[in-house]
Amino acid sequence: MTDSPAQQASDAVVASELRRSFGAVKAVDGVSLRVPRGAIFGLLGPDGAGKSTLIRMLATVLAPDSGDATVAGASVTKRPDAVTPRIGYMSQQFCMYPDLTVAENIDFFAVLRGVDKPTRKRRAAELLASMGMAQFTRRAAGRLSGGMKQKLMLTSTLMHSPEILLLDEPTTGVDPVSRREFWTILAELQRAGTTVVVATPYMDEAERCSHVAFMLSGQITHHGTPAELKALIPGVLIEVDAPDPRQALAAASGAPGVRSAHLLGDHVRVLSDADAQAPERLQALLRAQGIEATALAIEPDMEAAFSYLAEAAS
Amino acid sequence: MRASAARIAALVRKEFTHLFRDPRSLALVLLLPVVELLLFAWAISFDVREVPTIIWDADGSAASRAYVQQYAAGGFFTVKGSADSYDDIDKAFERGQARVAVVVPAGFQRAQDAGLRADVQVLVDGGEPTSARMGEAYALALNQRYNATSFASWVARTPGASVDAPTTGVLEPRVRTWYNPDRLSSVFLIPGLVVVIIMIVTVQQTAVTIVRERDQHTAEQMLVSPLSHTELVVGKLLPWTVLAFVDMAIVVGLGMGLFELPMRGSWAVLAAGSVLFVFASLAIGLIISSVTPSPETANIAAIMVAFLPSFLLSGFAFPIASMPPVLQAVTYAFPAREMVTISRGVFLKGAGLADVWTELLQLTAYAVVAVGVAVRLYGRRARR
Repeated sequence: MTDSPAQQASDAVVASELRRSFGAVKAVDGVSLRVPRGAIFGLLGPDGAGKSTLIRMLATVLAPDSGDATVAGASVTKRPDAVTPRIGYMSQQFCMYPDLTVAENIDFFAVLRGVDKPTRKRRAAELLASMGMAQFTRRAAGRLSGGMKQKLMLTSTLMHSPEILLLDEPTTGVDPVSRREFWTILAELQRAGTTVVVATPYMDEAERCSHVAFMLSGQITHHGTPAELKALIPGVLIEVDAPDPRQALAAASGAPGVRSAHLLGDHVRVLSDADAQAPERLQALLRAQGIEATALAIEPDMEAAFSYLAEAAS
Repeated sequence: MRASAARIAALVRKEFTHLFRDPRSLALVLLLPVVELLLFAWAISFDVREVPTIIWDADGSAASRAYVQQYAAGGFFTVKGSADSYDDIDKAFERGQARVAVVVPAGFQRAQDAGLRADVQVLVDGGEPTSARMGEAYALALNQRYNATSFASWVARTPGASVDAPTTGVLEPRVRTWYNPDRLSSVFLIPGLVVVIIMIVTVQQTAVTIVRERDQHTAEQMLVSPLSHTELVVGKLLPWTVLAFVDMAIVVGLGMGLFELPMRGSWAVLAAGSVLFVFASLAIGLIISSVTPSPETANIAAIMVAFLPSFLLSGFAFPIASMPPVLQAVTYAFPAREMVTISRGVFLKGAGLADVWTELLQLTAYAVVAVGVAVRLYGRRARR
C-alpha cells in the first residue's frame, strides 16, 4: 500500500500482504485491504476462501505467517494489546458458555474487558432491550435459538463500546427474519460511527454493505463499493421464467450471444452480450423451441456480480 | 500488565458456577471421594479372612484329627468340607468351593509317634493370587506353630529324648503386623486414597476445563480481552486447588471419624507434602491441557497419566516392592508414589520430617520441573 499517513489514519483497518498457511493449505495468501472508518465492509466468498482466517488475524487471535495489519491504529503483530481494547470480535462458532445465563455470559466477558459495574448494568440493559432480548436474561445461553445466540454474542461484543467490529459469518445458520434483524442492528451501529467488517457467504447481505471484497482461494480478487462491482458485469442480465426452468436453462445455454446461464431459485439467469434487443431475442428463440418462456432484462445484483467474477477468475 | 483481582475473581466465580450447574462434575468432585472411601472400606477388601478350605485326612488318626482341627480353630481358614482324592480337590478348586486344600497322608500318626518327620501337603489355588499368597502364609505360620507344640509334647512323652526341653516348647513364631495391627486394609488404604482423589480433582478437572475453553471458542474471546495468561491460569487453577483440599478434608475426616484412621505423625509434614503434590498435579493438568486437542482427549489423557498411575503405580493398591523392576522404575515418573509414602508414613507410622524428607525433596524437584514444563508448553499453546 502506498498511501499517505493521513489517509492511513482515517482507515479503521489497513492490511498489507497478510499470509497464513495451515500445513500445505494457504488459507490467506497475500491479502492487502483498506477499510475506511464508518464503513460496513463485507468480506464475501465461498466456504474455504480464507475469510475466517483473515478476520481472525485482524482480531489478533491468530498470528500471520508474514505481513501485518494496522487495526484501530496499532499493529496486530507488534501491539495486539493496543488493538484488542478497541475492537469487538465475534467468531463464526458460538463462543459463549452454554451453561451460564445470558446475563452471566455478558457480565463475565465485560469484567474481563474491564468494564466497570455501573456501565455493565446500564449497557447490558440497553443493548438487550434494543435487541429484543430483555426477557431472556436469565435463560441459559445454550438454550437460546440460533438467532438469539448471535444477538447474545453481538451484545457481549458491544459491551465495551468497540470502534471496530470484526464479525465472522454472524448470520450463517440463522433464520431469515433474524438475519434481517441482525443487519438492521449493524446499520444502526454504523450510523453511530462503528466500523463493521463482516464476513458472509450470503450475496444478498453484500447489498447492505458500503464496501465489499470478494475473496477466493486466500486472495481478494475484487473490491469496491457494491455499485462498482456490479458495474464490472459486462452485457445484460436477463431473468427467464419458464414452466420447466431446467429445460429453459438447457436451451438458453447454447444460444448465440449468451455468455453464461445458471439456475437461481426457479428462474434462469442469463448473462448476455450487451445488446438492448437481447431479452426479446432470447425469448423468441426459446418460444421457437416450444418453451413458454418470458425473458426480461434486470438490474445486475451482487449475486450476479459474484457469479460472474467467480467464473471470470476460474 | 498488572494482574487484576477482579478478572481472577470473575474466573473463579465462573468455574464454581459451571461446577454447581453440572451435576455430573459436582458428583465427581464431591461424591466420588466418599463413594470410593466406602467402597474401599467395605466392599473391596484386600483382607483375606475365612479362606475356604477342604481337608483330605487319609490317616484318620487321633493325631491327624488334632492337626486338622487347627485349621477350623482360627479365623483365617473356614473348613468347607472333606475330600477323598486329588480329584475331589481339583473339582472343589474349579467350582470355587475351596482355595486351600490340606492333605494329611496315611502314616501321619505313626511317623509322629516315632519322632520322625510327618509330611502334610497344603495345596493353594493360584488362580486368586492375593488369597493364594495370604493362604500360603497363614498355612505356613500354622504349621510352624503346630510343629513346635507337637515336638515339645513328643519330647515330654518320650523318656530319654535328649533335647534341651525348656527351649523347644517356647519356640513359637509370633507374627505381628505393625502399624495396622488388625491388618484392616481400609485403614491402610485411606491415606493412599487421599492421593488418588487429589490427582483426579487437580489433574483431570483442570485439564478438561482448560481445554473446554478452547473447544467452546471462549478462549478466543479471552484472547481479545486484556486477560493475561497468568490471570487465566491462576483463575482456572485456584478453584480446583481449593476443591482438592476440601476433598482431602472429607476423606481424612470420614477416615478418622468412621474408620478409626489414626493420625500418628505431623500435620505440618502432611500439609507440606500435599501442597507440593497439588502443585505438581496442577502442572500435569496444565501440560495435558496444552497438548490435547479436545476435552475428550484431555479426559482420557488425564486418566492415563493421573488416575491409573496413582492407582496402580503408587503403591496405593499394589506394593511397589513386588513389581517387576521396569515397572518399579516407571513409578518414579509420577508424583503419587512419593505422596502415598508420605501420607501413609504420617498417618500410620507417625512419620515426621526426618522420616520422609527424601520423599519431600523428590516431590519438590518434581513440582519445580513440572511447573517449568507446564509454563513453557502452556505459554506456547496460548500464544496467538
